[in-house]
Amino acid sequence: MDEPDGWYAVALGADIEPSTSAGTRLFGHELVVWRDAAGAVHVWEDRCPHRGMRLSFGFVRGDHIACLYHGWRYDAAGQCRFIPAHPDLAVSPMIRTRTFPCRERAGLIWVRWGSPADDAPEAAPDEAAPVSPLRSLYLDAPAARLAAALGGTGSDGLARLDLAGSPVLVAVQPLAAAASAAHIVVPAAPEAPTADLARLAAACITLRRTIEGAAP
Amino acid sequence: MSLRLYDYELDENGYKVRLALGALGLDCETVAVDMVPGAEQTRSPLIDLNPLGTLPILVDGGTVLREAEAILAYLARRYDPAGTWLPQEPAAFGETLMWLAFATRELHAASLARRAALFDHPGDGPELESRSRAAFRAMEDHIVLRGLSGAGWFAGTGPTIADLALFPAFALSRDFGIDHEAYPGLRRWSRRVRGLPGFRTMPGIPDYH
Repeated sequence: MDEPDGWYAVALGADIEPSTSAGTRLFGHELVVWRDAAGAVHVWEDRCPHRGMRLSFGFVRGDHIACLYHGWRYDAAGQCRFIPAHPDLAVSPMIRTRTFPCRERAGLIWVRWGSPADDAPEAAPDEAAPVSPLRSLYLDAPAARLAAALGGTGSDGLARLDLAGSPVLVAVQPLAAAASAAHIVVPAAPEAPTADLARLAAACITLRRTIEGAAP
Repeated sequence: MSLRLYDYELDENGYKVRLALGALGLDCETVAVDMVPGAEQTRSPLIDLNPLGTLPILVDGGTVLREAEAILAYLARRYDPAGTWLPQEPAAFGETLMWLAFATRELHAASLARRAALFDHPGDGPELESRSRAAFRAMEDHIVLRGLSGAGWFAGTGPTIADLALFPAFALSRDFGIDHEAYPGLRRWSRRVRGLPGFRTMPGIPDYH
């Protein structure tokens, strides 16, 4: 599939809690999204260079992530720092995993794919504008169909959608040829009434049904 | 009190009971049954204890029970008089039973998918996978909705036996090729389940997380 350079949202920030990791995909490439104990997020290729095990199956300790297979530990730069079977070994600088630039904004975790001309998303929503996470919606539908249903995305990578009468911001993640995700946040104060969010979450399910049911 | 559980280590239904025993802090004698490949539960003497030839089986004095969900309900009613794990309040009680039914019906596809993947049981792989995904999606939608109203568990206000009955299928889903990518709400919920006092792992569920 086409893999246009750009910034892509891969998760709601709130869904990646400190000291946890999650696997995801971008254009079919497996990525691990993890947050260290201090709160910084990291997006890497989801593969331990040792035996190819997915690092998203592993565990986070402090500012390292460790592989579930043999406990090889990687620092925030993707460099292997410790091999439990060889505790005295000075680990070769060659043993490192591929990392991607990432950032958090608008309540979402974004990864830079390729070399986008502008280092967007730079524009709105304002860094300071508060958003409430609504949910990530995973669809059995191509990203193009999802994006079309949202009416296209702005230069900041976000689509503006009226969901059951309330404005929401949506970022589209192309997972694979026939799978995509919509990461949805509400531009509102964090202390927004919960009943409203629940109503919007119900509308998300209708949205998913509509898009998945639409003709390709 | 002398509890005895007839169990097979790799069986997710037995694991539900082990989770409940851990949560309730109960001692239990475990009898390891050769379910795969021996099918020991389909022959005497186990078939005399449970004529349906299934596992797990719980024996508590003169009480003999089969079906993991029934065993969970029994253990909660018998050993948790406060009603934490099987709420007394009617709505929470109803919700708990609703999700117990889900664990036996909708999630049965996940159970069959796992048996097909691990034990070469016959089964239509793609069909079972698609039904399992549909079940996980229904769980994800529910737990996301619950989360937005400030609740972290499937029924009632705290963890119940519904959470224990639903956990194994999701936690073991990679055994039959379903990743957790599409279920961030369930991922966070399963982390809460793992944090419950008395939580235990089983093969396929890492000790570390």
